[in-house]
Amino acid sequence: MILFLRRIWAFLARDWRLELSYRMQFFLRVLSILIVVTTLFFISKIFSGFADPRFGQWRDPLAAWLTGLAVLNYFMTGFSSLANAIRQEQVQGTLESVLMTPISVPTVIVASSTWDFVQATLFSSLYLLFGWLFFDVHYRGSFLLALMFLVLTTIVLSCLGILSASFAMVFKRGDPFGVFLGTGSALFSGVFFPTQLINQYAGPRVASISRVLPPTYGLDGIRRVLIEGQTLAQVQQPLITLLVFLIVLLPFSLWVFGRAVRKAKREGSLIQY
Amino acid sequence: MPAETKAIVIAVDRLSKTYPVSFLRLKKLLRRKFKAPVEALREISFTIKEGEIFGLIGPNGAGKTTLTKIIATLVQPTSGNVIVKGHDSVADDQNVRRNVGLSGAEERSFYWRLTAEQNLLFFARLHGLNGRVARNRIAELFALLELQELATRRFAELSTGNKQRLSVARALLAKPAVLLLDEPTRSLDPIAAARMRSIIKSLAQTNNATIFLTSHNLTEVEELCDRVAIIGKGEIRALDTPQNLRTTHTEEERLTIAFSGLSVIDAEQALARSFKPELFVFEPSCPDESLVKFTRAADDDLLDRVLRVLQQSGATIRSVESERATLLDVLESYEKQSGELPSLS
Repeated sequence: MILFLRRIWAFLARDWRLELSYRMQFFLRVLSILIVVTTLFFISKIFSGFADPRFGQWRDPLAAWLTGLAVLNYFMTGFSSLANAIRQEQVQGTLESVLMTPISVPTVIVASSTWDFVQATLFSSLYLLFGWLFFDVHYRGSFLLALMFLVLTTIVLSCLGILSASFAMVFKRGDPFGVFLGTGSALFSGVFFPTQLINQYAGPRVASISRVLPPTYGLDGIRRVLIEGQTLAQVQQPLITLLVFLIVLLPFSLWVFGRAVRKAKREGSLIQY
Repeated sequence: MPAETKAIVIAVDRLSKTYPVSFLRLKKLLRRKFKAPVEALREISFTIKEGEIFGLIGPNGAGKTTLTKIIATLVQPTSGNVIVKGHDSVADDQNVRRNVGLSGAEERSFYWRLTAEQNLLFFARLHGLNGRVARNRIAELFALLELQELATRRFAELSTGNKQRLSVARALLAKPAVLLLDEPTRSLDPIAAARMRSIIKSLAQTNNATIFLTSHNLTEVEELCDRVAIIGKGEIRALDTPQNLRTTHTEEERLTIAFSGLSVIDAEQALARSFKPELFVFEPSCPDESLVKFTRAADDDLLDRVLRVLQQSGATIRSVESERATLLDVLESYEKQSGELPSLS
């Protein structure tokens, strides 16, 4: 365990130092979050007083958007950083030298995506912080319960991330999971508007897409807790759904990943991109 | 410890590697064109003992890189196996990597925006060294490879030769029992290359490190290696000590003796009294020096006898030069046999 943590620390220290060599990028990212939050504040003013009683989470659209963006940012990291970790090392040419150390491929993937999670935590918090600090957005309910939803959904998405990493390892490019989840989550998971509207305007078949996306349940759970102040007993349904996703996806993704690594090693294509 | 009693550190047994065609069945089903599978290694077997420097030479595409990568666990063999310090390279790859350090010729294997020290610190931590131990080890290696002044320089700012030395330093981080070195002196200046060769020798002699070295620099291979394998088209064509490889290849040696104090005619007459005259070719070299050239079977006493006759006739021997087959001759000969290299004659 100590060895595992030491390796995580090695990747964190490396990425921190690399990040320091690109300082401007960090400040521009913080500035862009502030600009997005400010823009959403003004857009939300268009809707003030028009809240539809059917959409309880959307009474304060700014709060709904900010939680949506913060959580989507985190979810996308959970999903994409694992595949990116492999791909980035492949493109840089450093994967072979990393794999020459006594470290397993899964550890490389987890450890090299740790910095992405640290950054995602920071940037996601900034959405909520800027909303609270400058635009009077208030959150209620248990932050611990919201955190539990966040972690659970991120793990579920990491399973899809492992599938995506397996795909990157074998096919190198053209990852269909990225396209499906990247665009699908923003459109169908209720980041910018209530998912019920899809049913109303596009019909139940299209609306069913949102039901197969884990972020829909994660986001719903977090908003129920932070915006509506619901308790654990009230959010059991999205919680159980996420657990079912986890039970199915975790062993499946690890199995696929093992096969992908073996295939890449047999073909000698582990470090190709 | 005598070489015979030393433990076997690397055992390669009937190793074959054929790079498969991706999604072959699907391509056949869709009647898509595909390249034939590439057979990179064919039934290779050899062992390397503790403290041995083992060289692998051969033309480009012969299978050197594939073999190195299989030993390093980066590529899986199709059949056969590699055992490193008792660990199988497929079933127990992490333990193999604990015992192996690889220094390749690939510059991109470092983080260019990190300093030399930060790069090594990262890899040291992956090897499980904690901060203080890692820093001490890095300082030792910087001193050994004369990189101290470059420790805080970004990798991108280092010269090609210094990048090469840093790569060797990285391979040595965890004090591995086995070092895989791919052209370790490729970009070094002559003095740095000589220093690197002396380090490699001392690692084998003092630290008992087993060194597997691939190189196109045959003089270096000859100087460093206890045994050399010649690989071509995925097969080991020959494996022996450099001396035996040369001797097996040709049992003759061309000799040139430079002498003074005796005219060419007197020397010719003196030698004709003891040997067949057609054995020798005489050439004046400079005003007071002449050359006599002849061929002898390796290790016979002809040289000794010729020198004695010349000296007894009043000649002063200035120099003796011998030209034996080099590893290049041996390599060329095997490649000609296999049809990979056109005959130059």
